[in-house]
Amino acid sequence: MISILTLLIIGIPWLGAVCLWLVGDRRPRLLHTLATTFALLAAIVTLAVIPFSTSQTVLHIAMGGILGDFTLIPDGLALFIAAIATVVGSAAVVFAIDYMGHAQQLARFYALVLFFIGAMAGLALSGSLLFTFFFWEITAVCSYALISFHNDDPRAVAGGIKALIMTQLGGVGLLGGALLVYAYFGNYQISSLLTNYQNLPPVVLGLMGFGFLVAAAAKSAQVPFHSWLPDAMEAPTPVTALIHAATMVNAGVYLLARFYPAFVSIPGWSIAVMTVGVLSALLAGLMALAANDIKRVLAYSTISQLGYMFYAVGTGAIFASQFHLFSHAIFKALLFLSAGAVITALGTRDLQQMGGLGKRMPFLRVMFVIGALGLMGLPIANGFFSKELILESGLEAGPLVFYLIMLFSAGVTALYTVRLLYLIFWGESRGPQPAHDGLPAMRVSLIVLAFGTLTTWLLAGGFSQLLASTLPFHHLEAEPTLTMVRQICLAPTTWIALGMIALGCATWLVRTRFTSLVQAFKPMLEVGFGFDALNRQIVQGVKRAAKFVQIAQTGQLNWNVVGIVSGLVVILLVALRGA
Amino acid sequence: MSISPFIIAFVGVIGLLGIGFYGLMVCRNLIKIVIALQILVKAALLGLMAAGNLNGQINLSQSMALTVIVADTIVAVMGIALGVQIRRRVGTLDVRELSRLKG
Amino acid sequence: MLFGPLIIVTIIFALQAILAKQLITSALWLAGVSALCSVLFFLFGAQLVAVIELSVGAGLVTVLFVFAISVAGDDAMDATPVPPRLLSVGLAAIFILLLGWFILPASADTLPVSAIANPPLAQVLWQERGLDLIVQVVLIFSGVLGLLGLLAEVRPPLDASMAGEVGARRQRDLHAMESQISNPQEAGK
Repeated sequence: MISILTLLIIGIPWLGAVCLWLVGDRRPRLLHTLATTFALLAAIVTLAVIPFSTSQTVLHIAMGGILGDFTLIPDGLALFIAAIATVVGSAAVVFAIDYMGHAQQLARFYALVLFFIGAMAGLALSGSLLFTFFFWEITAVCSYALISFHNDDPRAVAGGIKALIMTQLGGVGLLGGALLVYAYFGNYQISSLLTNYQNLPPVVLGLMGFGFLVAAAAKSAQVPFHSWLPDAMEAPTPVTALIHAATMVNAGVYLLARFYPAFVSIPGWSIAVMTVGVLSALLAGLMALAANDIKRVLAYSTISQLGYMFYAVGTGAIFASQFHLFSHAIFKALLFLSAGAVITALGTRDLQQMGGLGKRMPFLRVMFVIGALGLMGLPIANGFFSKELILESGLEAGPLVFYLIMLFSAGVTALYTVRLLYLIFWGESRGPQPAHDGLPAMRVSLIVLAFGTLTTWLLAGGFSQLLASTLPFHHLEAEPTLTMVRQICLAPTTWIALGMIALGCATWLVRTRFTSLVQAFKPMLEVGFGFDALNRQIVQGVKRAAKFVQIAQTGQLNWNVVGIVSGLVVILLVALRGA
Repeated sequence: MSISPFIIAFVGVIGLLGIGFYGLMVCRNLIKIVIALQILVKAALLGLMAAGNLNGQINLSQSMALTVIVADTIVAVMGIALGVQIRRRVGTLDVRELSRLKG
Repeated sequence: MLFGPLIIVTIIFALQAILAKQLITSALWLAGVSALCSVLFFLFGAQLVAVIELSVGAGLVTVLFVFAISVAGDDAMDATPVPPRLLSVGLAAIFILLLGWFILPASADTLPVSAIANPPLAQVLWQERGLDLIVQVVLIFSGVLGLLGLLAEVRPPLDASMAGEVGARRQRDLHAMESQISNPQEAGK
């Protein structure tokens, strides 16, 4: 029974994708209805499986020699990622009813979104590293197709290709790890790696650990692989909320959390993970201060919060990182969808053209404020609890310098969040007047997400119980919610962090005093600390190398045969050497 | 003769293969290239027959050789037809000229 | 006993086929190679294939070549090869040497004769390799189709202005169709 249900978590969205593709573009209302139905159905099935989660393999299909076995393991970590994918996916699909409205090629949009949801669930549920890699690549392809959805816009296409290339190159690290596991253990199963990792030669384990770190950093848009996420904002907003805030970018964090017990013993790995997290949190936070596009600010904010999660994994606080992942998915989806509503109401994404909209858009203002509470980490929103857990564990288990930088980043987070809110909703109006205050379908999904932001911290106890009981390799301890809340409220780090956040908010209020400081840093922030220039250099280098190699392609039959015979000679030499 | 016929046959196979590939590398006329391909196939057939005799299963290799002959004849026919058409439309059979043409 | 001289003559004929100046001479040398190969097949005990090789290789294919050469013409062509001749000869020589080193030591051993020694030809052809015959039929069929396609008459291509006209007309029809289909939907809301 459980095996059927678990398979359905992947199967329902994929079936929906095929159905929607077959229905075609001529009946938008049917498309909206079908998409919402399939997404909600998948969410219900996922939530229904949660009480039955187990660390055993529930589905085992032997796929033949090279492909290994396709296994599904619905343990706590996998189910909660699948739950986020399906539930936030449903919210995004409901939002898209009004956002996409009567757009062209709606069938392609919904089919890709559902295909993505299924693939993300499969990525988390898969117990075989090779199939995790397959699902990983499927999510990357869907992400590319959805970013470039408006494929007549060159910026969208460029953003999509950039995202695809950077995440795929990272995926090579994952494939290498999968092949190494197969070479040393004879199968691709994650459980065999987690039980027997001591039997691997240290060099191999180190290669695997750092390869996975590269794959995770590229997928989660961490420094130095972060430049694709701001450019991916050309995607339609429901896509951004689902893929680039709630699910796909979390795949990197999921990967590191899943394999943490195997890699923690590698010297330098934890520090490397922490460094990646800290750098991303700081640099992305600073870049968010200078961005003028509403979605770009949120994109940098996503990179920064993912940095917090990486930092938590590095210090060993797996539960804290997953809890922050959970909270972040909800409040970031809320923020992105609200931003999408604002964008459709105004017709522009430029912050400098907004202002004073609070009176005209009270509903969206409230939604934004709730999301901002979560982002800044203020009490009653779920972000508060998860961020404090991370900072606490950081102080205990990580270098003090990193803790101080993360504390500073918390202040920077507060600063750019307040800036974002102020520029949109307060002050004088600088641009067009809004056409609406959130259309009906948009309001529904926003209310659900806002409710989630304010209440999901109550699930912390149950969540930690789920993780502790179904992840045998991670040795977690379950704590009931009330204990956790009391511990957080009484810890001195919490009060220091709250003070930092208040400092960040206050800085905005006295921002006129800092103009000279701002002017000094602005050029560096706007150019993205030079990472974009580095990317351009790499692309130029590859183009030059390709032009050089082009000499070998003459297009003439005789030279081609020379190539064939040379290849045969090489093969014979290799065969003779072996014989 | 003390040298087994199979070694002689395989020497023949290797020699024909070398000549066939040399022809592919050197010839500029399309028809000559088809001729070189035919020589390569003769080499393969010779090898097949020698192996069949060596193994004692000459009838199996005969059946396989039938398929090879059918395929190779069709290749020759198509190649020659292509050559005739190209000669009619483009005017030259020189492989070097043909690779320069566009559109 | 005949093998040595036969193989040597075959190789010489093949070399002449490649090196001949005129195409028709080349085709005739190829016919000679076919005939000699047919004799070799006969000596190995493959009588059926020998006959088929003789009639197809030395007969059919040679006639085709002669026909093609007479139609296409036997123009003299610039004989300098595209890759330098030294490179081609060297590469072919290296290939021959390596392949010889690879194969020849093994070819002296007698391989184990399999348990079912040599069933009669009819049984092998029709029963054990029956699928091959289906493949051959498909091959011949596709070859005939390809040939028909190749030799078909080609309509003269539309010149540039005409092609533009046809394309524009198609676009107009498509737009008309699409607005017709979406309009009833708009009216229905």
